[in-house]
Amino acid sequence: MGAGLRLAQTAKLLLGVWMAGIVVAMFLVIPPYVGLGDAGRIIVMHVPTAWVTTVAFALSAFYSARYLWKRRAADDSGAVAAAEVGFLFCALATITGALFANIVWGTFWNWDPRETSILVLLLIYAAYFALRSALDDVERRRRLSAAYNLFAAVTMPFLLFVAPRLADSTLHPNCAFIQGSTCDGVWLETKGVRIGQLGDVVLALQGLEQRGDVAVAYVEVRTPGLQNVALLEPTFELASGKPADRPEFPGQQFLLAVEAVDLANGRALLNIEAPGTGLLSNSRTFWTFMAANLGFLGLFIWLYRLRADVLVLQERLARREVVHELPA
Amino acid sequence: MTARDTELSSRDPVREAPLLAAAWAVFRKDVRSELRTRYALNAVILFAASTVVALSLGMGPLTASRNADLPIIQAGLLWIAILFAAFTGLARAFVQEEEARNAAALRLAARPAAVFLGKLLFNLALLLLLVALTTVLFVIMLRVQVGNPMMLAAILLAGSLGLVAATTLIAAIIARASVKGALFAVLSFPLLAPLLVVAIQGSAAALLGRGWEYGVGPLQVLAGYTIALVVASLFLFNSVWEP
Repeated sequence: MGAGLRLAQTAKLLLGVWMAGIVVAMFLVIPPYVGLGDAGRIIVMHVPTAWVTTVAFALSAFYSARYLWKRRAADDSGAVAAAEVGFLFCALATITGALFANIVWGTFWNWDPRETSILVLLLIYAAYFALRSALDDVERRRRLSAAYNLFAAVTMPFLLFVAPRLADSTLHPNCAFIQGSTCDGVWLETKGVRIGQLGDVVLALQGLEQRGDVAVAYVEVRTPGLQNVALLEPTFELASGKPADRPEFPGQQFLLAVEAVDLANGRALLNIEAPGTGLLSNSRTFWTFMAANLGFLGLFIWLYRLRADVLVLQERLARREVVHELPA
Repeated sequence: MTARDTELSSRDPVREAPLLAAAWAVFRKDVRSELRTRYALNAVILFAASTVVALSLGMGPLTASRNADLPIIQAGLLWIAILFAAFTGLARAFVQEEEARNAAALRLAARPAAVFLGKLLFNLALLLLLVALTTVLFVIMLRVQVGNPMMLAAILLAGSLGLVAATTLIAAIIARASVKGALFAVLSFPLLAPLLVVAIQGSAAALLGRGWEYGVGPLQVLAGYTIALVVASLFLFNSVWEP
């Protein structure tokens, strides 16, 4: 018992040092990312909290299932503790994400697939707590909230499947939010179809010419919220076949890139790129990021065990009080 | 007394009755008691009618020439009207059993799966009535152009199936809680989010007059959602329905 306690103490101290190291590394070790500046550092906090949220949700569903199967109070405490700590991490992930989105994309909220799923997750947690507080009988509270938790877990795959479709249909530049900017872009022609749309941005190809060994596209850009129109000149390196200059959209930090050209026919493939693509290809960023994932997972396990223990203790205390009140 | 009990349980008519026949009996009992009070029927129909009238009064007929996004706006409004009317009525099936203190008798009279299926059927009948009424009122009062009526009907039917599949178990859960009405909406909404997205998009495609190739995807998702939730409900209902 004493050795186990000492081990737990050591682990807790190590975790504290580890997290402190991550915070230091976040500001001193990671290089500022081109196009994001210091805002890019937030991924060290944001992504691990989001990932721990999903772990917490899965753990909570697991304990709920085990409670319904074995009807042990400890399993219910586990489900509640995982949900509570998961809710905390979910809120942190949402807040850090919204801050990042506002700096980088110019808006706090944009209904991109991950934002949608994390918001619904927050609502499910909140509903779970609301249900627990509305049931007076202890056994019934455990049973019904476990059933709800599992039922909610069944709908999550649909949400994950459906959310990308949701973004497809909104007028937001959704492909820019998906890492690596996997959307296909639009082919525009100087002689044929000149106007196209990327997300909610309307592009008009005004001209395309060769300047030395780069091709320059003259693109007129309109965004719905923006009254003024901007003329951007993205370039394309003909020798390497890669986009060169990627100008920024006015008011937003999306980049416009020419991904392929066909000079003979006056055609260019234009695409939107989100800053943040390729953020992890830097090895220092990558290792700090992995360390942060590990650290946050450790933090979650510690908080979760602590909360579960407190819940079990509360239960025992309450039961002993009830026993004492009974006449002998 | 005990001898008679054992005699009864040895025959055990509850276990012997075929599941679907028992479910049908629960459904008929619910329909009959609903037709006596008409509580859910009145509440749901009047709620749906007032929502549509309020929308129509507030906005007047919307014309496509003024707004290119009109179909998705109309589909969204229609589904919100359906959703909130459903929140007012669909919990009734189980809440009424608890309030009238019938639940214990029902537990003795039928096995849990039969109770669940009967209530599911009753809720479906109520919701289909509500959806039909709301949609007709909505189309008439807001002068909605329906491009592909058959597809709209199919999406509305599939969406209703999914809505009922998600809310019946939750109705059984909240029937035991202390703040029933508000809790029903709070617990149901997060689970209904994927259904709403798909149903609104499918309905918008139908209003726009798109072909069936735009309807097959949403219908498949709605069918998968319904099947998954009904199966999950059947697994979980036993533990929810315990006294």
